[in-house]
Amino acid sequence: MSKQVKSNKLKVVSKKDTVHHNHPEGGKHLVCLLGDEQLVKEYSTTFQSAGIAVLELKSLASLKTSAKKILMGFELSLESTELKLTNLKALDESLPAQIPIVSNAVTSTVLTQAQSIGHKERLIGIAAFPTLLENKLVELTPSLYTSAEIAEYVKLFFTGLKKEIAVVEDSVGMVMPRILCQIINEALFTVQNDVANPKDIDTAMKFGTNYPHGPIEWGEKIGFKNIVTVLDALYKNHGEERYSVAPLLRQMAIAGTFWHKEK
Amino acid sequence: MALSIGIVGAGTMGAGIAHVAALHKINVSLYDINEEVIRRSVERINFEMKRGVDKSKISEEDMKQAMNRIKKRTNINDLDTCDIIIEAVLEDIRVKKDLFKKLDQVAHHTTILATNTSSLSVTSIASATKKPERVIGMHFFNPVHLMKLVEVVKGTLTSDETVKRTTEIAHQIGKKTVQTKDTPGFIVNRVARPFYGEALKLLSEGVASVQEIDHIVKNSGGFKMGPFELMDLIGNDVNLSVTESVYEQMYHDPRFRPSPLQKQMVEAGLFGKKSKKGFYNYEEL
Repeated sequence: MSKQVKSNKLKVVSKKDTVHHNHPEGGKHLVCLLGDEQLVKEYSTTFQSAGIAVLELKSLASLKTSAKKILMGFELSLESTELKLTNLKALDESLPAQIPIVSNAVTSTVLTQAQSIGHKERLIGIAAFPTLLENKLVELTPSLYTSAEIAEYVKLFFTGLKKEIAVVEDSVGMVMPRILCQIINEALFTVQNDVANPKDIDTAMKFGTNYPHGPIEWGEKIGFKNIVTVLDALYKNHGEERYSVAPLLRQMAIAGTFWHKEK
Repeated sequence: MALSIGIVGAGTMGAGIAHVAALHKINVSLYDINEEVIRRSVERINFEMKRGVDKSKISEEDMKQAMNRIKKRTNINDLDTCDIIIEAVLEDIRVKKDLFKKLDQVAHHTTILATNTSSLSVTSIASATKKPERVIGMHFFNPVHLMKLVEVVKGTLTSDETVKRTTEIAHQIGKKTVQTKDTPGFIVNRVARPFYGEALKLLSEGVASVQEIDHIVKNSGGFKMGPFELMDLIGNDVNLSVTESVYEQMYHDPRFRPSPLQKQMVEAGLFGKKSKKGFYNYEEL
């Protein structure tokens, strides 16, 4: 990961497009994004097109200097690694206490993540998973600590972006990533068992049951690595064989792409 | 010479296949042991085609010709000249095996014998015949006139020639085909299992409600229908029986374990739309 802060300046915001949110201190609407590169890009694009200034933080060095202008902090790492906890801690220590911190809660609960910060009540989870932000609904999950004000504030923020909100219980995989990853896993088992070729599997799911994308092309777009990360977290959390990863999927995650089997 | 197909079983699927085949200029012999079932089936095809005419999807002339191509049959021996016979009876292995044994005797030796089974083994059905190389799976989806796909299922002993001809026939009926080996659930009913299974598990774990899960799947995932709406539409009894069948055939692989919650719903008679109550209530207030 690059240590250089690439874009610690405000992105261009057209005045007439500005979405109205009242910063508690009456400052600029500025959202800072940390974590997974792919997700940061998706979120940044979506926020900017709604007229929200975005600060993509490639390192934590500049966080303190811009902290006062930040309206909301996002930690989007999918995997719950040391890095994620370090990011959360830095956001918690730098941002004023009333500023919400929204964290990717697909592979670990908000409750678990909250243990690493002081102001636990301001942390709320989001189902941040590649490709899902294209659609109109965002899944949020509060922990037992999350305050009602924070939850309401974050909801309003997304409603302002014309997104619908669904609030679900704090549970690994949340709703959409969990169902989606299991479908893609089964599609890879189906290829692995030589039942059908990948292209036919995609065709079958789109035309036999109206799926919006074929599971394999969708998995490729999401990144097979990310699917394995979610399934491994579900396996660890539930301790159930039903979440075991198709060996072929694990290979694809390492190779970074799908091997298009010619038949 | 125009292609001719025989359809055994004039229920929803049989009628649907007859409907699309006739519209694609194929001669159809629609067979059922029960004359009344055939009569109602043809009435239904007529009704569905009329809707197509009303929506200007087909012309009145198309409809007239298509309806004329459908012959009602109550004598199985009348299917002897068909190029292919497609079976669409009850999902019961005994019933299907008995039927295929009979079709094997009745049909011309070049006739393909296809089963529209969604979850039984094509290889097992073929074992009731003397010529398993001409037995194949041809899995259509409900409603047949709207769903583009046919899964062409190659049994262990199905010949390549049978696969090739069946694929061509499916294309002549205007369908897209995919080829799959004869394994539990084939492609669609296997890869779709987690769509229902994980949704049921999320519900039983209390992560979100029926309405919330459906809403999320549609609006965060972009699916046309939520899993619970779809289970209610398919019927919880049918959905559970497909899951149980795949689970049994996979020797209890935990990925396919059925949900106790769905089992209980079936026991309570909450089948879904058809019984007016399922995950949702369809009773008119």
